[in-house]
Amino acid sequence: MLSVNNLVTSYGLIKALKGVSLEAKKGAVTCILGPNGAGKTTLMFTLAGILAPDTGTVSLLDQNLMGLGAPKILRKGLALVPENRLVFADLTVSENLLAGAFSQSRAMSAQVSDDIDKMYDRFPILKARHDQPAGNLSGGEQQMLALARALMSRPSILLMDEPSVGLSPLIVDEIFAIVKQLNDDGMSILLVEQNATKALQVADYFYLLDQGKVTFSGTPDQLKDDDIIKRAYLGGG
Amino acid sequence: MDMLQTSIDGLMMGSTYALLGLSFALVFGVMRRINLAFGACLLFGASLAIYLEPILGWGVWGLFLVTIVGAALASSYVERLCFAPHGKRQGDVTAMVASFAVWMQLDEISSQLLPQRTHAFQGIEVPNFWWGELFVRGDQLLHFAIALVSILLLYLLLYKTRFGLLVRATADSSETAHLLGAPVPWLGFTIFLVAGILGGLAAFMILSADGYVTPLFGLWSTFKGLVAMIIGGVGSLVGAVLGGLILGLVETHAGAALGAEFRDMVTFGMVFLVLIIRPGGLMGVKIYRTDNLAQERV
Repeated sequence: MLSVNNLVTSYGLIKALKGVSLEAKKGAVTCILGPNGAGKTTLMFTLAGILAPDTGTVSLLDQNLMGLGAPKILRKGLALVPENRLVFADLTVSENLLAGAFSQSRAMSAQVSDDIDKMYDRFPILKARHDQPAGNLSGGEQQMLALARALMSRPSILLMDEPSVGLSPLIVDEIFAIVKQLNDDGMSILLVEQNATKALQVADYFYLLDQGKVTFSGTPDQLKDDDIIKRAYLGGG
Repeated sequence: MDMLQTSIDGLMMGSTYALLGLSFALVFGVMRRINLAFGACLLFGASLAIYLEPILGWGVWGLFLVTIVGAALASSYVERLCFAPHGKRQGDVTAMVASFAVWMQLDEISSQLLPQRTHAFQGIEVPNFWWGELFVRGDQLLHFAIALVSILLLYLLLYKTRFGLLVRATADSSETAHLLGAPVPWLGFTIFLVAGILGGLAAFMILSADGYVTPLFGLWSTFKGLVAMIIGGVGSLVGAVLGGLILGLVETHAGAALGAEFRDMVTFGMVFLVLIIRPGGLMGVKIYRTDNLAQERV
């Protein structure tokens, strides 16, 4: 579905991605593991069109995404839930959701309010807090809002950049349950995580990114059998 | 009765300050752009109006129109030249320094357009009247009404339309708004244009109430606009309106009680107090908060 080929992105002279290739299959949860500084967020930002790659190709459902800006990529069906959530703190919860539909044309406004109702059904806490500024929500609630906001653009694939970061274990469980639920409902997801134990519960396929390169790819079972990864990411020997 | 009369005068003057403060708040508070040239844009509009008046021969309506259009054009020019090319990555300081240069440029052009330094500035003629024992200046009552309607329209634009949502989301975090598909560069331009129109309107009303314009008006309007915004609280539009009204009331009362020479002293004393007691302003909101994380990454 989403296929990335030999992607190179640099900040000035420093190459953050040194030729990354990967594939995210339709209806699957694909997970990218990697330590800090591996280039995970750079990869997400490049796929979402915030950063421009030097070389490589990206295509989604056989549409080329290379060279397009963030708004166009979103319209082609790729939505990113950024790390640290980045909700609009001064806007209310319902305004944040409306903002998620920026990419939709004005004519669809009836559809947009239908979509908001669907989000409220999926995330009842957002309905209860719909007229509060998003800055007043807890971290877990903000993560749900960021997720719901991304879904408002009706994406065909959802990118999530470290949804567990800065959240308590109980809330992390809740977030991953939602990811699982979304995937069961048919959403394709590309997930970036450092929490490999959690990711193993939901992901169908893994890539390991280290210093801008893919150093491993395989199924959860292959991942669990790899000694080095086991030591570095799953704890214990 | 004198107190009441002074309060009415102050409120009328304050309403034009409120509009001026609002135009500053759009640029400084909503778009978070340190645009040093904004007052100079208003001066440019007024100077162009004076310069073109004998050529066009449209009288006071020509002054009205050209002041607003001139200020709006200058404001968009500053956005294109200073702020559009310097995004967050180059840093806000580069854009601010660029706007300082354009301030000098616009000031110089305005001085050339106003060779006599002090020029009469005509106002819209409205008969004055007595309301009981209270004297009401007709033109100021008209200004009050215009300011009120403009403030209401701006509120509806920002809080009741999709465009307003785009603007507020962009002001909150331009990176995230861009990620969600908002046309960020185009929005910045539009807000500078709207701020120029509102500022030009305020400039026309203030100048025609005073009856003259000098090349110092740019600096003067920067002071008044910033003071209204600081008293109200940077980032709050309601605060800017409130700050403008308070500024008008305090100035008029200080002028009536202590004499005109103490007016500015009292005003700046008040700013001093506000900054000590409530540094965020009366309706102070926290700003420069949410986008830091995004900025580190992008």
